[in-house]
Amino acid sequence: MSNVWAKPALPWRMISHVVIYILVLTMLVPFAWMVVTSLKTDTEAIDVQQMALLPSGPITDWKWHNYIQAWEDAQLGQVYLNSVIVAVVVTILSVLHNALAGFAFAKLRMKAKNATFICMLMTMMLPYQVYFIFAYILCGWLGYVDHLHALIVPFLASAFGIFYMKQSILTVSDGLLEAGKLDGMTNFELFWHVVLPSIKPAVGALAIFTFMASWNNFFWPLIVIDSQEQFTLPLSVAGLSSGLYVQSWPVQMAAATIITIPTVGVFLIFQRTFMQGLALTGVKG
Amino acid sequence: MRDRSLNSGWAFAAFPLAVIFVFTLLPTIAGAGLSFFEWSGSGLPQFIGLENYYAAIGHDQQMWFALRNTLIFALATVPVTVILSFILAAILRAEWFVGRRIAQAMLFMPMVISIVAIGFIWRWVLDPHSGLLNFAMESVGLDHLFSNWPPPWLGDSPWALGGMCFIHVWRNLGFGVVLYLAALSRVPKSQYEAAGVDGAGSWHATWRISWPAVRHMTLFLIITSSIWSLQVFDLVWVMTGGAEQPWTDVLNTHLYREFSANRLGYSATIGVFILLITAVITAMQLWWMRQPRKDEA
Repeated sequence: MSNVWAKPALPWRMISHVVIYILVLTMLVPFAWMVVTSLKTDTEAIDVQQMALLPSGPITDWKWHNYIQAWEDAQLGQVYLNSVIVAVVVTILSVLHNALAGFAFAKLRMKAKNATFICMLMTMMLPYQVYFIFAYILCGWLGYVDHLHALIVPFLASAFGIFYMKQSILTVSDGLLEAGKLDGMTNFELFWHVVLPSIKPAVGALAIFTFMASWNNFFWPLIVIDSQEQFTLPLSVAGLSSGLYVQSWPVQMAAATIITIPTVGVFLIFQRTFMQGLALTGVKG
Repeated sequence: MRDRSLNSGWAFAAFPLAVIFVFTLLPTIAGAGLSFFEWSGSGLPQFIGLENYYAAIGHDQQMWFALRNTLIFALATVPVTVILSFILAAILRAEWFVGRRIAQAMLFMPMVISIVAIGFIWRWVLDPHSGLLNFAMESVGLDHLFSNWPPPWLGDSPWALGGMCFIHVWRNLGFGVVLYLAALSRVPKSQYEAAGVDGAGSWHATWRISWPAVRHMTLFLIITSSIWSLQVFDLVWVMTGGAEQPWTDVLNTHLYREFSANRLGYSATIGVFILLITAVITAMQLWWMRQPRKDEA
């Protein structure tokens, strides 16, 4: 894509670079500092006068032990597993369900389709502050409270996901579906063999959003989970600073690094899909 | 396409819609209803009419603090986020910008990181005694401007509210930038070419052509970021622990405390307040943006 209008003058271009890279630095420095601090000793970390950039000594002398301590203090073994189970199950099932419903809204006939769709869209604006109380009570009746079920079942479909899938599936050509029908495919076969393969990028983007939202979810687990064995990562790591455990900046930073790695990893690997997928969100906007 | 059954769609949509119905729509209706009751979670709820609403408006000082802080928070963060992300997107789109792909990705980074980690990082940066900010300010001599150094950045003061506004903008900027980048790439070239012929500079092109052309994206961003701001919880929770203080409490942390204290009816009432404020502000923005413009006539 070429810029058809005139380039701004050199000083303006330079100022733009400086301002944006300073901003980029404010995004990066805290994270770099988090990693560096996680390898320092407690005294090094709070020694303001000698704000050393790196931990002292050779790399083998750095306090790698902070990671072990963070892992043990927050009991991250079980907790990591919980987070992975919840995020993976929610991602796979919810993307599948949302795509199925999106297919129905985009291509199939259903009674009261428009009214249903509008109702569903309106639920997107409801603040969770109004519905979490009864969602919690409901989970209590179902026996989900303090169980990973509570973090999975309510997230098996989402209005945003259905909306997003519908918008994507609308772009699949009817001709392709007609051809499949003539071959005697059922609706589900059409969905599985024709629709899904042609909206792969959107499915990928939705999967990444869903994974991150689930991985980082904080409020709802705080409400429904009480016992340590059922904690997800954010809950467990948040507990590191609330007086339950030893107060130590390096250990906290090590914990923060541990929970940050998966999402940053997923983001950096799928960065393209992610940004493009996000950009699609606003197509109708 | 011809279907075998009139309702084949429901076979696909029934379960996903049921999940939304059961875990979002029904609990919302029940929650709104609960705001007229007093209930501790066990036993039968007691109908008390509008008592909760009177209490919230008339007898709850903390509610007013929370409401004030929430509105300040939204008013401070929404315009800054939207305008700044537009400017950044306009620059990051230009071909002369060196390393724009990397810069775009980096600006988005804070959004993918757990709020808990972000809270740790910023609490540490803002720590009065060992934090990066005070260290930086002391080393350039800015500390002399303060009568009582170090200021309690995250204590109960307007500083804390301002700090949280800053972190909120910092965290959400990337979202706006990515959406604006997409919107800007869809503006037809012919619109710029017309301006280019007129010898318009890029400043002119940005504000006279790009900005109006992405108006729908601006509306979308104003609405989504208003909702995020009005419903802020995680950030405040990790920065202040949700303490009951005049300058750091927001509606959502107030609600959470009431919920934890088993005052479910009152908690639901605050939820309804948040719903109403969100709905009114969204409706106002939609109405305002729907006003006919000269260029659309």
